[in-house]
Amino acid sequence: MAEDYAKATLLGASRYTIHVDEQTTRLKAALLKDIRRSVFVYRVDCGGCNGCEIEIFATLTPVFDVERFGIKVVSSPRHADILLYTGSMTRSMRVPALRAYHAAPDPKVCVAYGACGCSGGIFHDVYCVWGGADQILPIDAYIPGCPPTPYATIYGFAMALGLLGQKLKATYHVQGENEHVQPRYPKIPLDLRIDIERASRRMAGYWHGKRIADSFLDMIQTADSQVDENVQAYLRQEDDPRLTEIFARLQQIFLAHPKGK
Amino acid sequence: MVWKLVKEVLRVGEATVLYPFVPAVVTAGFRGRPQHDPERCMACAACAVACPPNALTMATDMAQGIITWSIFYGRCIFCGRCEEVCPTGAIQLGQEFELAVMNKADLFEQADYRLAACSRCGVFFAPAKELDYVLILLEQAGLSGEELEERKALLGICPSCKRRSDIAKLVGLDQEAV
Repeated sequence: MAEDYAKATLLGASRYTIHVDEQTTRLKAALLKDIRRSVFVYRVDCGGCNGCEIEIFATLTPVFDVERFGIKVVSSPRHADILLYTGSMTRSMRVPALRAYHAAPDPKVCVAYGACGCSGGIFHDVYCVWGGADQILPIDAYIPGCPPTPYATIYGFAMALGLLGQKLKATYHVQGENEHVQPRYPKIPLDLRIDIERASRRMAGYWHGKRIADSFLDMIQTADSQVDENVQAYLRQEDDPRLTEIFARLQQIFLAHPKGK
Repeated sequence: MVWKLVKEVLRVGEATVLYPFVPAVVTAGFRGRPQHDPERCMACAACAVACPPNALTMATDMAQGIITWSIFYGRCIFCGRCEEVCPTGAIQLGQEFELAVMNKADLFEQADYRLAACSRCGVFFAPAKELDYVLILLEQAGLSGEELEERKALLGICPSCKRRSDIAKLVGLDQEAV
């Protein structure tokens, strides 16, 4: 234990993991089997932005109510079965993180929470960031998300406790022989498409702007003659005055273009 | 008084979601897992340039002539910049949020694409699919016949060979001599 601190305190000792012996691994399997509905969680914030904490507390509210499963947040690592590490593991939080780890009684399960806990997240290349809890601690489960939603949190815990199975699997694709990419809107002139995309992004922001522009371009692409009726039907269905305004502008641009006329 | 409370409780009903037992319903604007369609992707790396936390990365193997696209979900912040910049619509944020894993390796997704070799010097220089796409776009822009053939020949040449041949043209040298 003293050795762990010495190693962690050394400058530049950014990557080393605590050795988990066979006995502890066996005990951990027994813990997961017998824990049932008595899960005590201790939350260790290792340099996060508090977004993850807010979502953890949202998960404890009556709406999501993780106490249904006996999951309870405790205020001392000495009572904990699960250690929940959030934050990107900054240099100054690495020793407190280790102290919490050693204070928790064996066997214990460590969970990395949020994009930062899993890998350092958006701060992964900052000078004082170790880059995720797994850089210094043995992590058993990863819950990605920035921050993970309460649903994702419930799923992560259910998976770590063996109630639900893992859904995500690593995939690997190799380019096939006859793979060709076709343009999305071959019938629409380039200048018209650019004008529509720009206007839509200016009015709705980058992500929604693209989605709105795409839905409008899809309508132009599929139905040449009855664009107006299709647009009106779509707007009635969506019933959103903001969308109506943006579509009105996009239609103006479309009608001003020689193709639209 | 108590009666009123009981009535209120009955009116409000159960507030707690039934999530792990019934599937969760997320809102339409929810930004979940970025779903990559490897067949629509042309390895142009626009997403890797835009990705704020570098969850999307490209690696080039110049010896093998392979460019590898990869995403690390553990680092993704679900901002949707990749979807916005993708010219072919190969990456789109879905509604999936169940991303927790026991094994870190399962957070990675990879796709390999072939690079095209320069028709003069034989050095790999750009993804073959991207060159295909450029050619299709040129056709769409109205190029045809001789002009298209000329552009097609130019597309197969790496930037440094192109520069060399341009200089040769300018000073009136024979291209073979350069």
